[in-house]
Amino acid sequence: MSRPDIHDVTPVPVRRYGQQFGAVVLIVFALLFAQNLATNQNIQWPVVAQYMFAPSILSGLGMTILLTVLAMVIGLSIGVVLAIMRLSDSRVFQGAAWAWIWFFRGVPPLVQLIFWYNLALLYPDLSIGIPFGPKLFIWDTNAVITPFSAAILGLAFTEAAYAAEMIRAGIQAVSGGQVEASATLGMSRSQTLRRIVLPQALRIVIPPIGNDTISMLKFTSLVSVLALPDLLFSAQMVYARTYQTIPLLMVATIWYLVLTTVLTFAEHAIEHRLSEGSPPSKRSFQKRLFDMRPFRRQKEFSA
Amino acid sequence: MTMPLLKVERLRKSFGDHEVLSGIDLSVNEGDVTCIVGPSGSGKSTLLRCLNHLEKPTGGAIFLQGEPVGVRWRGDRLYEMSFNEMARQRQKMGMVFQGFHLFPHKTALQNITEAPIIVKGTPRHQAEAEGMALLEKVGMPDRAHYYPRQLSGGQQQRVAIARSLAMKPALLLFDEPTSALDPELVGEVLAAMRQLAEEGMTMLVVTHEMLFARDVADHLIFMEGGVIVEQGNPREIMTSPRHERTREFLARVLPQAV
Repeated sequence: MSRPDIHDVTPVPVRRYGQQFGAVVLIVFALLFAQNLATNQNIQWPVVAQYMFAPSILSGLGMTILLTVLAMVIGLSIGVVLAIMRLSDSRVFQGAAWAWIWFFRGVPPLVQLIFWYNLALLYPDLSIGIPFGPKLFIWDTNAVITPFSAAILGLAFTEAAYAAEMIRAGIQAVSGGQVEASATLGMSRSQTLRRIVLPQALRIVIPPIGNDTISMLKFTSLVSVLALPDLLFSAQMVYARTYQTIPLLMVATIWYLVLTTVLTFAEHAIEHRLSEGSPPSKRSFQKRLFDMRPFRRQKEFSA
Repeated sequence: MTMPLLKVERLRKSFGDHEVLSGIDLSVNEGDVTCIVGPSGSGKSTLLRCLNHLEKPTGGAIFLQGEPVGVRWRGDRLYEMSFNEMARQRQKMGMVFQGFHLFPHKTALQNITEAPIIVKGTPRHQAEAEGMALLEKVGMPDRAHYYPRQLSGGQQQRVAIARSLAMKPALLLFDEPTSALDPELVGEVLAAMRQLAEEGMTMLVVTHEMLFARDVADHLIFMEGGVIVEQGNPREIMTSPRHERTREFLARVLPQAV
């Protein structure tokens, strides 16, 4: 047997038999699942199609989007304030922000929603007045707390707690040199924060915020316990009447998947655009993200 | 007698128990270039950072144009300045850092125009015209719209110098401006600094570039162990140092044929 010259031949690639076998198994499962989806009469695809764009479902979809947007906007706004408080020199500010984060990260959103909705049982009326003195304005709690406002409070406050930690980590990932350079140019603290630190911090916080938005979209389905007509509750209303449970849940599932897919693409697009600037190091951000020590002594530049 | 632009009296700074500056006295006249040299750990950078209160001095006094820095008299009581009051004084003392610290999310020109626009309220078009003139001065008008990461270290440092100049400071502090640069990029930054010196800018430069100190500085300060060991005319000190410690330092750092 004569071997060919080693320079004339290409070696046979390594065969990964285990991987090939696994792939075949997975493909078989996928085909079975697809066939089942297509042929299972219980799904009732015609019913799914009938309700996909039904007015009640679409208005539920609108409510879900509205809740997501409002909860994120309010949550992020409070989150920025909490993050700055966490980084304050004052122990009182640090402590207050820490307490908020501790509470709203610790209590499940579902419990909070029910709690907010039942606020009237705790405080029959809400008032603004002089502390320990007379009340100037009084509202009936039941008039203020609707299912909608209870949902926004619960979702936004929870989001604020999570956003605060991410934004704090983002701010800390911006190098101290940036703050010093701003100081030597005569910028005030708030100018430095608004013009130099936050724009850089928010850049690295965009990907986790994007993830949070997707989570929030899913969390909004909790509001169905308050009988708020979001996507899930609208579907439930229909099948409570028609008993077409599975087709209506399919409608809701498909819409949730559509929305999360759109959000995922949007997040990738934003991230891609931002990566053209040069944000502070992601590693530094990740390192600081899980730093949850309360009442940490801040080493800041002195002035 | 004219008042020095900057006067430092008995300045001390400690970090915990460690005293880094043990009583510094110096003055800088308008238009002078003063270089501070010395071994690492001698307190040179800390001295510079105390002048604009990036570090708060432990003791002593600093006067800029006769005005105490970081503190203010009200009647016969002395008060610390708040950060934002301090900001007004910092405008008069530009600073160039070893690590450049350009704003990465802004172009070269935006780095330069940022502070004049938001701190001084300069109209944008005027700030941009002045910013372009400054880029011209440091030799890189064609890089106005580049982001810092698209520039070499030497170019970044030149933009940083232009950024400091944009606030029209009375005094420019340089904290080892060429120490983070690749050797072949040092020259362009030193050339820009030399040009500034010739135009009469008052500069206080912490540096390891002995030849720059010899050729450009009007005044040389040698520091070691938190004190000024020797100061005076750079050529005199380099050719005939009076202190043993100065002599040892110069023997280590001076190129053979000075």
